[in-house]
Amino acid sequence: MATAQAGPPRPAAARARRGPLAALRARPAAAKLLLLALVAAVAVPLVHGRWGGGIWPAALTADLSGPLGDVTDWIVSNRDSHPLFLYFFGHISNAIVLSVRGVYLVLLALGWAGVTVLAAAVAWRAAGIRLALTAAVSFLVCGLLGMWVPTMQTLALMTVAVLASVVLGLLLGLAAGLSDRVFRVLRPVLDTMQVLPAFAYLLPVVLVFGIGVPGAVLATVVYAAPPMARLTALGLRGADAGVMEAVTSLGATGRQRLLSARLPLARKELLLGLNQTIMMALSMAVIASVIGAGGLGDRVYQALSSVDVGAALAAGIPIVLLAVVLDRTTEAAGRRIGAEPTGPALLRGWRGWTLAAAVTAAAAVAGRVAGGQVWPDDLTVAIAGPVNTAKDWMVDHLYTGVPVVGGTADLASHFTSGVLNPLRGGLTGLPWWSVLLIVAALAWTIGTWRTAATAVLAMAAIGVLGVWEPSMDTLSQVIAAVAVTLVIGFGVAVGAARSERLERLLRPVLDVFQTMPQFVYLIPVVALFGVGRAPAAAAAVVYALPAVIRITTQGLRGVDPAAMECARSLGATPGQQLRQVQIPLARPSLLLAVNQAVVLVLAVVIIGGLVGSGALGYDVVFGLAQGDLATGLVAGAAIVCLGLMLDRVTQPTTRRQRQES
Amino acid sequence: MTATQAPEAAVRSADEAVFSVRNLWKVFGPKADRVPGGEHAALPPAELREATGCTAAVRDVSFDVRKGEVFVVMGLSGSGKSTLVRCLTRLIEPTSGTLAIDGEDVLAMDRSRLRELRRHRAAMVFQHFGLLPHRTVVDNVAYGLEIQGLSKSERRAKAAELVAKVGLAGMEDRRPSQLSGGQQQRVGLARALAVDPSVLLFDEPFSALDPLIRREMQDEVVRLHREEGRTMVFITHDLSEALRLGTRIALMRDGGIVQLGTPEEIVGSPADDYVREFVRDVPREQVLTVATAMRPALAGESERGPAVRPDATVAEAIEAVSRSGDPAARVMDAGRLVGVVDRACLLDVVAGTAEPAVTAPAPDAPDGPREVTA
Repeated sequence: MATAQAGPPRPAAARARRGPLAALRARPAAAKLLLLALVAAVAVPLVHGRWGGGIWPAALTADLSGPLGDVTDWIVSNRDSHPLFLYFFGHISNAIVLSVRGVYLVLLALGWAGVTVLAAAVAWRAAGIRLALTAAVSFLVCGLLGMWVPTMQTLALMTVAVLASVVLGLLLGLAAGLSDRVFRVLRPVLDTMQVLPAFAYLLPVVLVFGIGVPGAVLATVVYAAPPMARLTALGLRGADAGVMEAVTSLGATGRQRLLSARLPLARKELLLGLNQTIMMALSMAVIASVIGAGGLGDRVYQALSSVDVGAALAAGIPIVLLAVVLDRTTEAAGRRIGAEPTGPALLRGWRGWTLAAAVTAAAAVAGRVAGGQVWPDDLTVAIAGPVNTAKDWMVDHLYTGVPVVGGTADLASHFTSGVLNPLRGGLTGLPWWSVLLIVAALAWTIGTWRTAATAVLAMAAIGVLGVWEPSMDTLSQVIAAVAVTLVIGFGVAVGAARSERLERLLRPVLDVFQTMPQFVYLIPVVALFGVGRAPAAAAAVVYALPAVIRITTQGLRGVDPAAMECARSLGATPGQQLRQVQIPLARPSLLLAVNQAVVLVLAVVIIGGLVGSGALGYDVVFGLAQGDLATGLVAGAAIVCLGLMLDRVTQPTTRRQRQES
Repeated sequence: MTATQAPEAAVRSADEAVFSVRNLWKVFGPKADRVPGGEHAALPPAELREATGCTAAVRDVSFDVRKGEVFVVMGLSGSGKSTLVRCLTRLIEPTSGTLAIDGEDVLAMDRSRLRELRRHRAAMVFQHFGLLPHRTVVDNVAYGLEIQGLSKSERRAKAAELVAKVGLAGMEDRRPSQLSGGQQQRVGLARALAVDPSVLLFDEPFSALDPLIRREMQDEVVRLHREEGRTMVFITHDLSEALRLGTRIALMRDGGIVQLGTPEEIVGSPADDYVREFVRDVPREQVLTVATAMRPALAGESERGPAVRPDATVAEAIEAVSRSGDPAARVMDAGRLVGVVDRACLLDVVAGTAEPAVTAPAPDAPDGPREVTA
């Protein structure tokens, strides 16, 4: 101390002199926790004395099944007579049915040759010759697998849904992009919609439209429009201020500014929005088979419910191929923007498109003349049988008794009994108020008091809805799967950040995995682990891993090279560089990765209800299957709350700031 | 020193002003309109922000831009010069003051009138070019004409002509991203010229360019001005650029104009210590003319020595004197002897010891030959 007094005052000494309050201000996390502890110390004895511990007290729940049942009954009995349905929803419903039917008929009229050539031609114009080949081969494989008709059904539904989503998203995005007030209102809504699991959207549309194509299309639109709206708004707002000023300085009117500058400047974002909308629409169109969408998703759904892995795979492969073709084509189109037109001048612009249309027409006519409108039955390869044989072999040889590693089924049961069960027991065993406290503490230290408040309210709402137990069950699966995802993801990412070769190897794999719809992941895990909670968790891990690896790798690699160089020049070992430079500097990315992991895992854990993971997802499926919409709706609301809570708990403050700028 | 200093531009009277600016204020912040003319108006920037939360980017500025001149506004970053030039076409709305273009009140214009002003009368060149990345060079140049509603063939023809004029012939179909910075700024210049404006406004157009390219672009502006005689308002933070291009220079600091004058006046008789510090490193012999450095001819000096014009720079006189070997050069205006510059006069200018009569001798220049300036 003597030296400290003799020399200039050191920061530490200065802080010590400023007293405990100042010390707390220097460490906001500690201050928040202290404040929370104080509140808890006062409130907990009161609350505990009044309602006790354990699961959410029955006295604090509101039984909604009665009123909800009444509402569904009223809707069901009035669906054909009430003017609201006759003149509003009825028209919407009819329009959707007609347009899906129309697109489907056009696809059928084109015949398999016409559709394949059309897909190849569009891919060629938008993305080049390589993707044209990929598209053609993909469609042929769909036919070969005997899935031509379901593929066309899914495609027709998607076309209508994507068109509607794009129009809706563009309109919302334009409004939010041009008006600050609309943007402020719309953005939190869109942000939240993007973190909600797809299942949450199913019940409300079923309530109004019943099971069938209209509901499926509407659910898809609601699910797929937000990214388009969001990216349109961001693109329009992000227009280069210098360019906009230059345009204004030349005397452009408001309309000219929008049409000749602001919209073209946002082309990249618009195409990215289109890409995301298409991918989300495909994902949802498949899931919506649960509410009668038909097509490929329905085949997978039917096959999974009878654990027929072969049939599921035969329908799953076309889904993956569709996803890859659609994603690559729109992505390549986005990349081509601003680049010089290539290829011979004869094929540029409208000439190329005319040629594409002509070739398609020719192929369609040729197919018609040859009498091959529907894919010929003798040209299919039935893979269901062989796959099921292979699966049976796996069941016999891999499920149990594999030396050293044990079997997959053993693994799954160990995971269930060793991780999932204790976790679920622990969560349901915790006093309900302590769950709220933990949520508040986590959300507040990571984010702001706002996110903490939202999270706690969402959690409390789950209790009030009376689904505390199944929610804790779902939560336990989410936590376990997120933990596994993060351990594997961070490990791989650290490796990929260090080794260029590993990253190059990983990139195409991650690309494919990131484009696949959630639903598809259920097929391999059912083959490997059977049904239950462990397979659902495994599917969730596989689904969330690519995003986590990608974000983390980018974060670690994006660390300021000057800082890394500095650490190296001071003689830091690789381990020291990672611990002391890379990880602290990449903290925002790591938090974002955690956030994404939670959101993605939740989405699949919910869908896991289809393969026996129980809990909230099962309640939704059960509600749909039994026509017990009240149960389903309550579970759906709980899913929304759980999604909100999990997102807000892991939402770093920086995410908001980054979007702000 | 260049054709931009054509003498006829300097003698034009104020009624030929293109822009006439009086007591212009631009204040950013809450209740900004209360600052001009209010009790805080005279406060320095930091105190003003303390007292009102406002920042005065432009404070009480008055000047005229005369027809045909290059009016340079120069100052360091944050001095308000970019805000000032944006106020001229109301890209930024001034807080108070009056502003007229060709005698017409700009602040009273409605939307369509203001658009008309921006379309036809004042075009701007920006520091970061502001080109549309999705359009080719020729379409970028034609953009202003497209906004005006010209037909495609008309505007293409005009644009092609201007692309050639700024030296980009053959690059019509490139995209901005395929051009170098200097080429992009040429496109920006051509776009501004395409609408044939009566005033060109430049907002630090060459600051983002490499020194060599910058020099080239400055020559381009000089050439354009010589050929067309268009009025220009030129914003820069680069003193040598200001001296090279400016007919007159307005030096700004903290939103106000510290000094307004010809390059020679700024360098030769700085208004205060700030300006003096600013121009300290300027090679004075290249800016000052012999007219300011000469002394009356003594007997017998009218016959000898090389002849120089009064508006020749001191550097030119030095060259003439040392070539001839004579002790002095005669300053001849239209065949009449108006004065003499001897070696001492010239050296005083170079050394910075020859203070014009209006300012006191610098304290750190003790032993200059006083009789020359006295």
